[in-house]
Amino acid sequence: MSGKARGGGAAFAAGATITLAYLVIALIACVWTPHDPTAISIADKLQAPSVHHWFGTDQLGRDVLSMIMAGARNTVGVALLSTLIGAAVGIPLGLIAAAERGVVEELIMRANDLTFAFPALLLAILITAALGPGAVNAVIAIGVFNIPVFARVVRGGARNLWTRDYTLAARVAGKGSARISLEHILPNLATLLVVQGTIQFSLGVIAEAGLSYVGLGAQPPSPSWGRMLNEAQSLTALDPALALFPGGAVVLLVLGLNLLGDGLGRGRGL
Amino acid sequence: MRSRRRGPRAAVLGAALALLGFACAAPSARASDAVTVGMQLEPPVLDPTANPAAAISEALYANLFEGLVQFAADGSVRPCLATSWDISADGLSYTFHLRDGVRFHDGVRFDADTAKYSLERALAPYSRNPQRARISAISAVQALDALTLRLSLRRRSGGLLQSLAWGPFVMVEPRSAATNGTRPIGTGPFRFVDWRRGDALVLERNDDYWGARPRLGRATFKFISDPTAAYAALMAGDVDAFSAYPAPENVAQFAADPRFKVFVGSTEGETVLALNNRRPPLSLLPVRRAIAHALDRRALIDGAMFGYATPIGSHFPPHSPDYIDLTGTYPHDVAQARALLAQAGYPKGFSVTLKLPPPSYARRAGEIVASQLAAVGIRVTIENLEWAQWLDQVFARHDFDMSIVAHVEPMDYDIYARDDYYFGYSNADFKALIAALEDTIDPALRHELLGEIQHKLAEDAVNGFLFQLPRLAVWNAHLHGVGFENPLGTIELARAYDDRPNEAGAAPPKVAAAALGVAWLAAAAALLLFALAARRFGAVALSGRLAVLLLTLAAATVVVFVIVQVVPGDPVRYMLGLQAQPDTVAAMRRVLGLDAAPLERYLNWVGGIVHGDFGLSYTYRVPVSSLIAERLQVSVPLALYALVLAASVAFPVGFAAAAHRGRASDAWLTSLTQLGLAIPNFWLGMLLVMVFAIALHATSAGGFPGWGAGFWAALRALTLPAVALAMPQAAILARVLRGALIDTLHEDYIRTARAKGASERRILWRHALPNALIPVLTILGMQFSFLLAGGVIIENVFFLPGLGRLVFQAIEQRDLIVVQGVVIVLVLAVVSVSFLVDLAYELVDPRLRAQGSAP
Repeated sequence: MSGKARGGGAAFAAGATITLAYLVIALIACVWTPHDPTAISIADKLQAPSVHHWFGTDQLGRDVLSMIMAGARNTVGVALLSTLIGAAVGIPLGLIAAAERGVVEELIMRANDLTFAFPALLLAILITAALGPGAVNAVIAIGVFNIPVFARVVRGGARNLWTRDYTLAARVAGKGSARISLEHILPNLATLLVVQGTIQFSLGVIAEAGLSYVGLGAQPPSPSWGRMLNEAQSLTALDPALALFPGGAVVLLVLGLNLLGDGLGRGRGL
Repeated sequence: MRSRRRGPRAAVLGAALALLGFACAAPSARASDAVTVGMQLEPPVLDPTANPAAAISEALYANLFEGLVQFAADGSVRPCLATSWDISADGLSYTFHLRDGVRFHDGVRFDADTAKYSLERALAPYSRNPQRARISAISAVQALDALTLRLSLRRRSGGLLQSLAWGPFVMVEPRSAATNGTRPIGTGPFRFVDWRRGDALVLERNDDYWGARPRLGRATFKFISDPTAAYAALMAGDVDAFSAYPAPENVAQFAADPRFKVFVGSTEGETVLALNNRRPPLSLLPVRRAIAHALDRRALIDGAMFGYATPIGSHFPPHSPDYIDLTGTYPHDVAQARALLAQAGYPKGFSVTLKLPPPSYARRAGEIVASQLAAVGIRVTIENLEWAQWLDQVFARHDFDMSIVAHVEPMDYDIYARDDYYFGYSNADFKALIAALEDTIDPALRHELLGEIQHKLAEDAVNGFLFQLPRLAVWNAHLHGVGFENPLGTIELARAYDDRPNEAGAAPPKVAAAALGVAWLAAAAALLLFALAARRFGAVALSGRLAVLLLTLAAATVVVFVIVQVVPGDPVRYMLGLQAQPDTVAAMRRVLGLDAAPLERYLNWVGGIVHGDFGLSYTYRVPVSSLIAERLQVSVPLALYALVLAASVAFPVGFAAAAHRGRASDAWLTSLTQLGLAIPNFWLGMLLVMVFAIALHATSAGGFPGWGAGFWAALRALTLPAVALAMPQAAILARVLRGALIDTLHEDYIRTARAKGASERRILWRHALPNALIPVLTILGMQFSFLLAGGVIIENVFFLPGLGRLVFQAIEQRDLIVVQGVVIVLVLAVVSVSFLVDLAYELVDPRLRAQGSAP
């Protein structure tokens, strides 16, 4: 099926390029942006894109390109960290559940189901409202909901692998559950986990944008795409382009991540 | 080959066209004697004599409630329920001659006894009247005869007549006074009809009004605080007017549009950069003067208010005849500011926090002020707070350095004389000035004193005096006679009328009955499922699973309760507002049961839930279950609508992609789904509103008219939100269906069918699809619960009165019991739907069917 392989290759290439580009931009933004993204200059407000300001300026005279770059730093950071939290806690839980079975597995799976039962966005809003708005709390709120996803995926995959011959052989050879999990199970789940990771990352990006949009993400003056979208809404009559840049930034990043995950999955026949 | 491709595409296109056509064609009724006015903030209760929120008077002053005297548009006092009055020479006795023939909305006659009752109620020691202190000079109230009222004062009070014109001193009658919070009874030209919490307040004409009969038959106040939603509502005609339009950036556009009229005027809201005078270094005068020099009011007004505000130099409104322009006291001078700071011992500046409440003027001004102060070396950290947090931290506990807020009460300069006010300014000279003013009735002397008061506040730089909050009223040019010029900020509708002719709409069908029918059908289906499952799996296994379900729910209640209790901010402070006394706060806590131990509160709550009693809302004092039931009427249909839309788009797309897997059209369709997944639904909602509602006027921009306004009208209002919600779900569904179909195609029975010579299409339809449907249906079930809860942000974009907005507002208002109730209802929905879907899955799965019943 040459078409499928071709599609898989193209998706992976496009996705990888886009994602890498965002990561690079986010890193660069940590040390340099064309202008100070928080510099207010009312006299320069609402300018169209020009040589001086590639994406124009917003209603307070801030350079939009610099804000997008700084926002990338924020969004990529939050989404990445929350995915890592989910993986760091969820993967061990899933491995333990698959290895131990019985009561331990039941408990972990029930706790998983309980977390799944909660409307994620609602509780993320509640958590950030309770702990206070800000990037750190957004990471916690989103990260909490990544844990059961990873746990479930790992448990499902691991359960399958536990029935394979080489795991049984390792058991017979006297290896403990933990060693088997780490040496045999986990490496074979790597692709699955990376694909899931990209999915959770892209969901994290959208979640962060949503939380920032309602004011619960990174606080001013720290720029964030979601908040830029919110501020741009009432200005659509004056400057419709203001809503396009942050929205486009979100769409492109999520697209890139999804293509990457797709490409990875197809490449390995998932 | 070609014909196969046309089918699914045509279906999608046809569905889209039908939707558009239906959305445009559905008629909506509009009567010319009904008007809808937008308001930024919702009143917490409807009784202006029991709560200080300005929003209460905004809607009800002069419309529903009237006082002895009333403010005219220029701020002067005019007769209302009192036709004339005499003041004794020594200023200690006021005699009011009352109007004859006035009745309250419940038929009770207004006379001197009711006036006496109203005033004594306000003066009583246990009174909850927020402005009681203003008329505390009154020592006795007497009804000399049916239409004559005498007030005896223990000391002269120059401001008494003005005070009596305020909202908190409107006339009420004894039988209804206690329930005025939820069912207000007054003497005004309009009477109360309905209050849909979080959505709208409805009034209708009082046909027995003592004055000129109002031309309007019905008035609806819609609560919209979001600048974009306000803009969309006005443009799309959902709202005829905004008395305090929250988005100054659009005002110029409305002013240039012949369909609208704009009034830019003044309010009583002095917007100040509040400084905590108790805390060093803000306690030092040179530092405060430096801050004053650092502020550039012009840039602030330009950036935060888009030019629509008047700068102020002291705590006094520019529109008042007693105003003195003191903006030049400490003009914008960065060098001078730095010099003063160095002089005060802070050559390198210092760090402070700036705590901002929610209104857009505060948030926007805050960012600009922070950058202006940074230019002189003062490093500002911004903290955005909700109202409840602001009231708690800044106003009650004085835990702040700086804040920005508009003080909207008229003539409230006396707050600077109160030691316990959050500014922390305590100055004997100023207090003497205020005392002298209280004692003076002569206008010329008052004018002088008021001037001195303004000078004192400006020179002491107590706060950064920024600008007077403007009155930005925007209304449809067909609306006439609304008193938008009133600096009190009240919306007076007595002389308002709309000059458009009536538009008859479709008669509203019996929607409630239909909804009930659907609910019964759903319940019957669930019961059938249960019965089948019991037969298949046995009662024991089924009850085992039910037990797990209940256990999950119980665990969920614990989690919800614990999380919600962590949320800081006191609901009582939020309810009672800015001027509540500590003992009133304590009494309210007892009434609400908030002083009990956490375990006791948890058990009470859970015990109530089992009976279907979710408690009483702190803010609205109505059963939480009724609030939730109201909101479910929007959230459930919206979720179903979005689900149907998602499925009707996903099925053709997923099917086509699977049918043409590996080819170009598959790649295109899959890329389309990728895009669909990547677009945030609230952004899509924004774009849809811009295109369909504002540019094309094809659908409404948001809001929900209620099912009573007609099935199609209501559905039309839900269309854009449903489309925005549906799109990412459609993308997911399409991908899942494609994947499931392709997976099934590897099964043996498919290979058999192919070997038997069946066409590809037939194979997909007859064999693959039914089996692929199973995982798809599972996802559909999960999506319904997600849509129910996930519409939170969408509901804010389109200001739909659904569960999402309810919980948002409840979080802002710290109405914790509502938050608990909503979250647990949503959890119940998700868990039940998963349970039923799992059951259905196992019943339907052909592999299990073949095996026969399990033990």
